[in-house]
Amino acid sequence: MHLKVNDESHEVTVDVERTLLSVLRHELGLTGTKYGCGEGNCGACTVLIDGEATRSCITPVTSAGGRDITTIEGLADGDTLHPVQEAFVEHTAFQCAYCTPGFIMSSTVLLDRNPAPDDEQIRSALSGHICRCGAYVRILKAVKSASSEPVQSEGGAS
Amino acid sequence: MSRQNADPDIALKVVGAPRWTPEPDPRTPPGDPATLLTIDSDGVVSAFSGKVEYGQGIRNGFAMEIADELDVGVDSVQIVLGDTDLVPQDRGTTGSASTRTVGIQLRRAAATARRALIDLAATRLEVSAGSLKTRDGQVVPDDGSAGVRYADLLSGNSLTLDIPDVVQVKAVEEFQLMGRPARRIDAVSRVTGAAKYAQDVVVSGMLYGKILRPPSYGAKLRQIDTTRAERVSGVVSVVQDGDFVGVVAEREDVAEYAVEAIRARWEESRDTASDWNIPALLKERAEDLTALREGGDLGAGFGSADRVFENTYYVPYVSNAQMEPSASVARWDGDHLTIWSANRGPFAERDSLAEMFGLDTSQVRVTAAEIGGSFGTKTPTVSYEAARLAKAVDAPVRVSYNRAEEFSWSTVRPAATFEIKSGVDADGNIMAWDYAAFHAGENAFRGKRGADILYDVDNVRIGVAASESPLQSGSYRSLGGATNHFAREVHMDEIAVGLGLDPLEFRLRNLTHDRLRPCLIAAAEAFGWATRQKRPGVGYGMAIGYDAGSFTAQCVEVLVENGEARVTRVVVGFDCGLVVNPDGARNQIEGSIIMGMGTALWEAVEFDGGRVLNAGFARYRVPRIADTPEIEVVFTGGDDVPSSGAGEPGIVAIAPAIANAVRDATGTAIQELPIVPRL
Repeated sequence: MHLKVNDESHEVTVDVERTLLSVLRHELGLTGTKYGCGEGNCGACTVLIDGEATRSCITPVTSAGGRDITTIEGLADGDTLHPVQEAFVEHTAFQCAYCTPGFIMSSTVLLDRNPAPDDEQIRSALSGHICRCGAYVRILKAVKSASSEPVQSEGGAS
Repeated sequence: MSRQNADPDIALKVVGAPRWTPEPDPRTPPGDPATLLTIDSDGVVSAFSGKVEYGQGIRNGFAMEIADELDVGVDSVQIVLGDTDLVPQDRGTTGSASTRTVGIQLRRAAATARRALIDLAATRLEVSAGSLKTRDGQVVPDDGSAGVRYADLLSGNSLTLDIPDVVQVKAVEEFQLMGRPARRIDAVSRVTGAAKYAQDVVVSGMLYGKILRPPSYGAKLRQIDTTRAERVSGVVSVVQDGDFVGVVAEREDVAEYAVEAIRARWEESRDTASDWNIPALLKERAEDLTALREGGDLGAGFGSADRVFENTYYVPYVSNAQMEPSASVARWDGDHLTIWSANRGPFAERDSLAEMFGLDTSQVRVTAAEIGGSFGTKTPTVSYEAARLAKAVDAPVRVSYNRAEEFSWSTVRPAATFEIKSGVDADGNIMAWDYAAFHAGENAFRGKRGADILYDVDNVRIGVAASESPLQSGSYRSLGGATNHFAREVHMDEIAVGLGLDPLEFRLRNLTHDRLRPCLIAAAEAFGWATRQKRPGVGYGMAIGYDAGSFTAQCVEVLVENGEARVTRVVVGFDCGLVVNPDGARNQIEGSIIMGMGTALWEAVEFDGGRVLNAGFARYRVPRIADTPEIEVVFTGGDDVPSSGAGEPGIVAIAPAIANAVRDATGTAIQELPIVPRL
């Protein structure tokens, strides 16, 4: 079948029952998308399909055929990080960072749709993700700073 | 034989013995001398440690320390971690000890190198060493004349230096990097998906292994039929050795499918322990209490008390549930075994693998991949499994756990039951403290951590016992620290409420500890404890604690409504001495608060007869971003006090502080965790 990932076309021969996550990681070597739970509960495997944040661990690969798939590897423009990636670096919005690709993918979708989300909207949009290191305070700050209404000052009134 | 530093480009090498204590201590002799730091002919500094990076940012901490001592940029320091062929054996990454033990020794190594560079420059420039300084990778004269680059000084040299007994490290006022917030040097690889975790490691010719799991702990394999699994296309081999059964296949999904196709009959243990009856069983099945501390006269203490408080507390098993499930790649080259894994202790893993396969330790190399969280778990088990399968099929094999395996077959934080009896006089002075803790696990080691009391009490008995564990107990952030603190600090509030005293006032009345007392005062002040406003559904609580040489005091605000409890605000006082990287330490403390909040409110492993019943995130509720409270951290340690742990102490006081706040909101005492199912 035909898969379009990060603007590159791939012909892959795969069993129909395989998940998109399995094909991305094992056939295409795109290991930035992580396995966390295999049940769509933790968000580590999040990729974009036609701009929609999607849990690749519960997505049959066949349903992604011919559609635009973006993984964490496809987000930066060469050496220029995507503004959300830049914000995660700036705020050290991670510790072990295993969950980070998923958080970043969902955050880009949120900001595309709602360039100036408030705190509650960010919390709601990212509540399907788990960061077990608990870097949530920083993730909230990072997403806010990548929005069109960034936080004015550290610890200031918001 | 170490293959360490055979690089001919190395121009300067500092050799030292790894240490286990911040200061030399005759009771704990140092490890074997090894190369701790090198500078190559281009001036690139490399430092070596057996510590590993699992999210705590230790690479940063070490790089900042070395860069500061050597006056070079952080970018020109390379940190080599966790490869048993390349780094000194400086013990596992546990106990929040990296900065306080290895960090200080690396600083001494860097200071030794700096001294040598100054001496080289003094000879070359024909001036006295005292007239020279170091700056930006150069030795520069005081008089402002041209300096010499380290690379130029080292050109053509091949120096080996031992760390002298006395070596002058920099004073706080001289730090350029330490003590200031810093970005993670490994940040970009972590936001682009480039960082390779154990789950991501692929080596040439690698196959995928999956282990047949019993239905419960202690189950014995009675009959097995692997015919169907063997027929699955893509299966290379079904390996069986007693109760150890695994499938090796060309793909992971095939291995997983094939293992499901194995038909097996198990005889399960008849243990009746479950999460329903375990609180009482822990005491019934415990060994005798070991006295951690006994002082004064308990009988006299209780005799002089006006009030006696006595209660029992319980903390359930919780899962580490780090985001990256365990994984390991094993490759045999003849009788040499190479492992890529996510273990916290690469040397311990190497040694145990060598023992298991009857090899010399020189025949095993363990390399730490990036680690997607641990919090104390990630044992060598997954590497044994990979190595056994790899040996059987004579090809490299990766074993990656799925989430259900991680919940059921990695380790869990031991459940514990506590009995506390205390006596206080009419003024609220603690006169007697009798503490008994029964921690699940094979020995009392983990349960002892944090069991002692730092309040002022002369008549005291602290007893800890290990109790037979129906699940596989393991390490978890602060070991027994968090569970012991829960019991003690909840009990403290019970006394305060019983006496009609403010929880802060009662604690201060019994706390002269020179670091913990100011820490508590600072946290309470930053929180506005004295001016807190009582509102319906809102409660306030506090707790104090100690762990890994550090001290903390935490004040929280909770909102309890509709059967839910929400932590809205946390203020943390934290004394870990000199803070090397404030942003890194803050990140660790915030994470500890979030993690501890989960154990307070929701988390518990449900099990019955050795079967874990909630082996997935759908039934094991962990904190999500929507649960995030406002968290403020106030550092109260002195810059002249040696650094102590920051990765674990933050978790010890949060659960009791939340429990005390929920009690404040609802009027109902909390003696068991988690709280929310009991609301």
